[in-house]
Amino acid sequence: MILPPPLFAQAGALARSPLCWSIMLGAISLWLLFARRTNAVRGIGKMLGGISLIMLATTLMIVGDWSSQIVFWFLAAVTIVGAAAAIISRNPVYMAIWFAVSLLGTAGLFLFQGAQFLGVATVVVYAGAIVVTFLFVLMLAQPEGHAPYDRISWASFAIPAALVGAAAVIAIVLTSLDSLKAVDERSPTPAIVASQQHMAELGSHMFAYHLVAIEVVGTLLLVALVGAIAIVVQGRKPQADSPSDVVQMPNVHGDLPGGAR
Amino acid sequence: MNESALLYNYLLIGGVLFALGLIGFVVRRNMIVMFLCAEMMLQGVSVSLVAWSRYHDDWGGQMLVLFIIAVAAAEAGIALALILMLFHQSGSLDMAFWQDLREDDQPAFVDHKPTEDDDRDHIWPTLTPAGIEPEVDPDEQMHRSKI
Repeated sequence: MILPPPLFAQAGALARSPLCWSIMLGAISLWLLFARRTNAVRGIGKMLGGISLIMLATTLMIVGDWSSQIVFWFLAAVTIVGAAAAIISRNPVYMAIWFAVSLLGTAGLFLFQGAQFLGVATVVVYAGAIVVTFLFVLMLAQPEGHAPYDRISWASFAIPAALVGAAAVIAIVLTSLDSLKAVDERSPTPAIVASQQHMAELGSHMFAYHLVAIEVVGTLLLVALVGAIAIVVQGRKPQADSPSDVVQMPNVHGDLPGGAR
Repeated sequence: MNESALLYNYLLIGGVLFALGLIGFVVRRNMIVMFLCAEMMLQGVSVSLVAWSRYHDDWGGQMLVLFIIAVAAAEAGIALALILMLFHQSGSLDMAFWQDLREDDQPAFVDHKPTEDDDRDHIWPTLTPAGIEPEVDPDEQMHRSKI
């Protein structure tokens, strides 16, 4: 029976790994950028973020030849920089736009893996529909764009949050990825998932094995649509449930008491 | 391509995306921003699922990501309606307004003073002028009252 290595040995391995330093630097940089006191502090935060990104890039493994490696680095940088810029931008409109940029990077990562349908679906559904819909709501609810609650956080929550986030990634690395990094196999390209007939294969698998689930998800979308409309209508309607409320309310529109429409 | 290296890189990027979404969800107070941060966490999960799908040469991960996208769309519709309704009741997108729902014996969260509203917050995107600048008729300038 193999005993797990003692805790201090793992801690020593962590202290030597550039990945952990990169993630801690990233946490400090996020904290500085959240605080946003002066331009100098923000500059330092951005510089630390850049350093941590470069360190992260050096710890990533080489995926293939040079061209695909450069494409991969570019997509990963777009994804992570977009996400970081999204959570630190004060203006929610810019936040949504940076999030869309990050989603485009994610879609590129999907395409890089050969998951063509998911890449296109991410662009269409996420960046095309969800982000744009939320931009509409944002314009409706907060047209001037800058509100005091966008400039402050809960008390002084930025430090513990950044630390916990960094600890989450380090925990992932510690538990699973280190053993994976030891394996350096040159396995052939997967035959099924990365085949030329991607859409046809995905469609046949989807409707052969997940037919019921697909139908259920379609029904769920319909129910969510109806539910969203019901919530909005219910929220707009004056509270006319009990007769006492109806008596007190001025009957502006000449409706029947009881809200019969 | 080196398949295990691909898996390693994608899992790391997925973890970083998830952690960034988590930080944003905890730190930010705007309801819409919090929702989009939750979506960012879903994206991190999707990235790692696609990586596992390729590593095991199995469609399962990609199918799960498809369902994640569908459920996220449904969730976005519901959340949009809820946020609009909450906005109509409170007049702001601030999450701290809803601390009225806390238990009786819990202390209230009191804001410290927000930082100053500096010039950077008022910078808006502008369109660059394009095309030929139209000629100004001096006669019209003199005789027409400018509104």
